[in-house]
Amino acid sequence: MAVSPVVTHEATSNVKVTAAKAKSLAVRTNSFPHKTEAPPEKKQGGQELAERLNHETKEKYVKDKKLGEGTYAIVYLGHLKADPLSKVAIKKIKVNTEYRDGLSMDAIREVKYLQELSHPNIIALHAVFSSKNQNLNLVLEFLPLGDLEMLIKDSEGIRYGTAEVKAWMGMLGRAVWFCHENFVLHRDIKPNNLFIAADGEVKLADFGLARSFSDPYRPMTYQVITRWYRPPELLYGARFYSGAVDVWSMGTVFAELILRVPFLAGNTDIHQLELICQAVGTPTEEIWPGVSKLEGYVGYEKASIVPVRGKDFYLARFGTAGPVGVDLLMSMLALDPRKRSTARQMLEHRWWTSDPRPTAKVDLPRKGGGLEKMGDDLKRRGGEVEDGRGNKVARKLNFGATK
Amino acid sequence: MRFLVNPECYHKMCESCVDRIFSQGPAPCPVAGCARTLRKQRFRKQTFEDLQIEREVDVRRRVAATFNRRESEFQTLRDYNNYLEEVETLTFNLLYNIDVAITEAKLASYAKQNAADIANNKALSAQESASTEARMAAQKEQARLRREAARIEEEEERREREEGRREIIEKIAHSTDDPDKIVREGQKVVLKKSTARRNAADRLRAQDAASVDNASAPLFQIAGLRPITQPQLEQVYDPFGGYVVKPSYFELQPSYAHPWLEKAKTDPQILAGGYDVGEYCARTMMEACAGLGVFVEEEVARRERAADADLGTQSAAIAGGEGGGSGSDVL
Ligand SMILES: Nc1ncnc2c1ncn2[C@@H]1O[C@H](COP(=O)(O)OP(=O)(O)O)[C@@H](O)[C@H]1O
Ligand SMILES: [Zn+2]
Ligand SMILES: [Zn+2]
Repeated sequence: MAVSPVVTHEATSNVKVTAAKAKSLAVRTNSFPHKTEAPPEKKQGGQELAERLNHETKEKYVKDKKLGEGTYAIVYLGHLKADPLSKVAIKKIKVNTEYRDGLSMDAIREVKYLQELSHPNIIALHAVFSSKNQNLNLVLEFLPLGDLEMLIKDSEGIRYGTAEVKAWMGMLGRAVWFCHENFVLHRDIKPNNLFIAADGEVKLADFGLARSFSDPYRPMTYQVITRWYRPPELLYGARFYSGAVDVWSMGTVFAELILRVPFLAGNTDIHQLELICQAVGTPTEEIWPGVSKLEGYVGYEKASIVPVRGKDFYLARFGTAGPVGVDLLMSMLALDPRKRSTARQMLEHRWWTSDPRPTAKVDLPRKGGGLEKMGDDLKRRGGEVEDGRGNKVARKLNFGATK
Repeated sequence: MRFLVNPECYHKMCESCVDRIFSQGPAPCPVAGCARTLRKQRFRKQTFEDLQIEREVDVRRRVAATFNRRESEFQTLRDYNNYLEEVETLTFNLLYNIDVAITEAKLASYAKQNAADIANNKALSAQESASTEARMAAQKEQARLRREAARIEEEEERREREEGRREIIEKIAHSTDDPDKIVREGQKVVLKKSTARRNAADRLRAQDAASVDNASAPLFQIAGLRPITQPQLEQVYDPFGGYVVKPSYFELQPSYAHPWLEKAKTDPQILAGGYDVGEYCARTMMEACAGLGVFVEEEVARRERAADADLGTQSAAIAGGEGGGSGSDVL
């Protein structure tokens, strides 16, 4: 199979990205002085330049109100000074004294990968600057409509069906496929890292755990991915893995979208494995050659082994996705990562082109959409009643229009 | 005895007179002082006792057929009512023979300027009166045609892309040129072709727009019409969202023999977790062939150096330093 980098239709966008990258890298150098490799006399000039660039970037944005607080950052709503109507999210990374330079690895990863990945389904990083006390600030695309978790949980207010699930999963699939095509693992796919843009587009966010595909023999950490979305190979402590880990996460998100509750909500890692055995099947050497060699593999007694679940089992739980959808789900939840679909195979599946067609993104249900819309309707009707003269004219012509 | 009228002048005459006078072709009205040219074809039975009303209904029907805008086409109800009032004024003028020439000119001008909208609204009305099934069938047919058009366009584009790709491969096979250069040129050609087609489509659209623009300036204009948003062509759903994979300029071998890789290909600890040496080879090959990206980076750096000596040097130093390593080891 031929593997190849991905390009968009706009041939010029590459140039832009690269130019932006060159600049922001200069800014980044300021934040991580140990990375500068320029000779000392040059470094002096470079520092000044970097400071100037940083100052320029910082001055471009204004912070407004606080939007929320996460584990390692506080997120503010902001805007471009030059355009008061613009909206951005400014993510101020909390200073962490654990690290030598006061910056967590998460922030560095987030900047590094978001700079490289430019795709409609991946949150855009507009700029990076440091504020007082060397606080790192990421200027991100503002995504006002919450995340997929909110939509899944609001089962009272939000109704959706297979066409909507297909639209959301399609956008998630594109994002992950694009990451993998660029040799980046996300390693934290879950509904509340999938933000919704104003136009309904799903945006994969939070690249704090992302990394490049590793070189052979370079072990990776298995302590990644939020437990409910973590694949069995990581629960068994695999240190050499692939994009298949993200595909498992997508499979569990797919299942959750249909069930509207988390599919495999384990309390501990052991419990998580039990739930996987029950719902998917027990990993054994027969169905997953080599699995017993993984450091964290636990043997199972013959009597307790659950055979790999068949299609009927899935149809009973996920029947709304239809037999073709269930087929896709099963391929994403294969226990052996080598037998799991890749992100590309996932998008090549015939579910996408079979009925129903995915809902257009503008028609997708959104947070609080129902109430707002009703208010609008009421407003308009009120305005019409007030217009007395109009009614008269309309009546007059109605007579004329009769045939 | 049956009496007939002709909407040209509404003079009443009996059926046999109509036959006698107008069977040989158009002739002047025999009523003293009228002398309008009448055609037999247009004589019809009178509907209303009062011929004044008969005429008013005809006029209104004619005006309504042209001014057939719907309320939904206006931004506000007020705009719609203003429109109705203007149409009413125009109708009134025709009924009471006020400024008939200019009013008729206005009507004709409007009909010409808005021919497409008029036809569209007419079709809508017809559809509305037709049965639901017929309407559904019509909609389905339209959707099918749209899909078909989109499919054909897509196929054409894919074929061109394919051909471009085959050409590149053939060139590499039969030429001593640097493969990288061929690929870059090949991509340019594919790009140019699709640009050319896009330009052709643009030209057609521009022609359409121009033919409307060049027509005489409208004598009757309506305010407050909603901007027309063309319904989006219903395209075939593309799971990849329009992103395409660049034609690859190397065929990835199913397996690369390198002693260093042997253990990674056989060690169950590495394999069972899903690690794929092939992906590593692909990444390495891609990075080796990603010369294009480096050129761009250097070029940008050079351009910036020209613009701002200080800035340029810094960017080039960083871009160069960063481009060298794969970067994956840093984190
Ligand atoms: N791009 C954005 N647009 C709008 N709101 C955001 C954005 N990013 C984050 N937020 C808000 O800020 C909160 C914290 O974000 P984050 O640090 O990513 O949280 P977490 O650590 O929970 O992933 C989120 O819950 C969300 O409400
Ligand atoms: Zn007679
Ligand atoms: Zn007459």
